[in-house]
Amino acid sequence: MKLTRRNVTAGSVALLAASSIGAPAVLGQAKARVVVVGGGPGGATAAKYLARDSNGAIAVTLVEENETYQTCFHSNLYIGGFKTYDEIVHRYDALASAYGIALARSRAMQVDRDRKEVVLADGRRLPYDRLVLSPGIDLKYDSVPGWSKEAEEVMPHGWKPGRQTQLIRERLDAVPDGGTIVMIAPPNPYRCPPGPYERASMFAHVLMATGRSKARIVILDPKESFSKQGVFMPDWEKRYGAMIEWLGPKVHDGIKSVDPKTETVVTGFETYENCAFVNVIPAQMAGAIARDAGLAPAGGYCAIDPATMKSVADANIVVLGDACNAGDMPKSAFSANNQAKVAAMILRGELVGAPTFPARYLNTCWSLVDTDDAIKVGGRYEPKDGRIAAVETFISQPGESTEIRRQTQAENIAWYDAICADMFT
Amino acid sequence: MGWDGIKLRHTQSPAGFALLGALGLLFAVAPVQAAGDRALGEYLASECTSCHQLSGRSSGGIPAIVGWPEEQFVAVLNSYARKERDSQTMQAIAARLSRDDVTALATYFASLTSKP
Ligand SMILES: Cc1cc2nc3c(=O)[nH]c(=O)nc-3n(C[C@H](O)[C@H](O)[C@H](O)COP(=O)(O)OP(=O)(O)OC[C@H]3O[C@@H](n4cnc5c(N)ncnc54)[C@H](O)[C@@H]3O)c2cc1C
Repeated sequence: MKLTRRNVTAGSVALLAASSIGAPAVLGQAKARVVVVGGGPGGATAAKYLARDSNGAIAVTLVEENETYQTCFHSNLYIGGFKTYDEIVHRYDALASAYGIALARSRAMQVDRDRKEVVLADGRRLPYDRLVLSPGIDLKYDSVPGWSKEAEEVMPHGWKPGRQTQLIRERLDAVPDGGTIVMIAPPNPYRCPPGPYERASMFAHVLMATGRSKARIVILDPKESFSKQGVFMPDWEKRYGAMIEWLGPKVHDGIKSVDPKTETVVTGFETYENCAFVNVIPAQMAGAIARDAGLAPAGGYCAIDPATMKSVADANIVVLGDACNAGDMPKSAFSANNQAKVAAMILRGELVGAPTFPARYLNTCWSLVDTDDAIKVGGRYEPKDGRIAAVETFISQPGESTEIRRQTQAENIAWYDAICADMFT
Repeated sequence: MGWDGIKLRHTQSPAGFALLGALGLLFAVAPVQAAGDRALGEYLASECTSCHQLSGRSSGGIPAIVGWPEEQFVAVLNSYARKERDSQTMQAIAARLSRDDVTALATYFASLTSKP
């Protein structure tokens, strides 16, 4: 535990409040216990801010099944050749050494809400006063007929980090000039609304840069429109000519089936045979641990109280990031990281009597279209009528100057470094 | 260093120079603020640290904001709120900050030192 001036100050505020007016929720107990499941932008951030700002008054355990965190954010930059894979891999060590967070390297199998315990795959039971769940998404393998868990090796999604991301890159590298890539885009709501379209941009960038200008990318979308469409589409035309073709449901008339053996995609309108590769990004839902705890409707996301990020089904549990229904906030790393800070503030208030403030939220999603050419969308949000509602939004404009686009990409790079420092150091 | 990436609209002069001029003007009209609320500043600052590193490190595209004199911090945020300074993100953030919020943030970030 690093003793900085901030820690001491925050700690003494908490102590003062706890010993006088604060009325902490766990009176009489030595130390409040918070278990956090998931070491992504939601969970890692919540664990860090709870531990750091409570100056040891809260015992924080972070449960994460993977040894490293490999970011989906900027995985498209890896696919596009703008980052190495190593640059999107991060370690948890500093969370333990700098903030005294206990790391439990295991999969959380079950939440026993009555006994307030998390059951781990290694058999341990972790008791909690408050539980933070930020498990991200699970994929709906049955949402695309013909596709399956086994088929993800042949028709990769690349929507969860690690091997899947690398598979996409390998398959892209093997596309012949004149080959066709078919991307099946997901229905709302899903992780990273502009992500599929940033990825298509990166495909085109790599194909152009390697002299495969006759290859084409067909996006089959179940949605009538998509995030930043009004900026992406003119940019695609300007940068990549006719290489990227986007087809909405009225045009393709539904994705009827895929066949991994023959790399075929059948729509109501056309059959794409012998595809160079097919990138299936399926429908999504809250991670299993949150669904199995009964916090989400079947196949959906967890409803939360917008003022606190707490599950509406259980006031001892906070659900963050992709796994929750955050109203107008998109499922992004930025959102998850931002929501975690609201939750940490609220939980410190409850557990150690720290001061609390009205929740406010923020998001910005940058997308790279081509070298030094990025666009962004974002907004600020507040609790309103039982949901997180947008108060003000902003978006890049088509036809912006190269200087603005270059500056937007510089922001994107700086944001990535900052959010990773915010999560892991 | 902290001024990189900040640009005033309607100006041909180098960003740093224009900024100093603008700040001088702001100092003249705005009295020096009293110290802001620490706990409020710490909470509000947690929103900033998604993009601005607490260590004061900066990867260029987003400026470092630790250790600024409080008056400068207040002046810069206020000029974003008035949309005199470019950055859609910062304009949206600044627009919802109350005077107390801005003071609290200024005090909080001024109290930190850069650890490059
Ligand atoms: C291609 C792509 C590009 C993207 N680009 C951006 C971008 O530019 N900007 C942006 O803001 N966002 C981006 N995103 C979205 C971003 O990655 C997610 O929104 C973010 O990761 C959500 O964070 P989270 O904490 O909710 O979940 P996750 O990041 O998924 O973290 C969940 C963690 O929990 C662990 N876990 C899950 N269940 C268990 C369990 N039962 N036991 C133990 N551990 C468990 C997982 O191993 C994982 O580490 C992108 C996503 C994709 C796919």
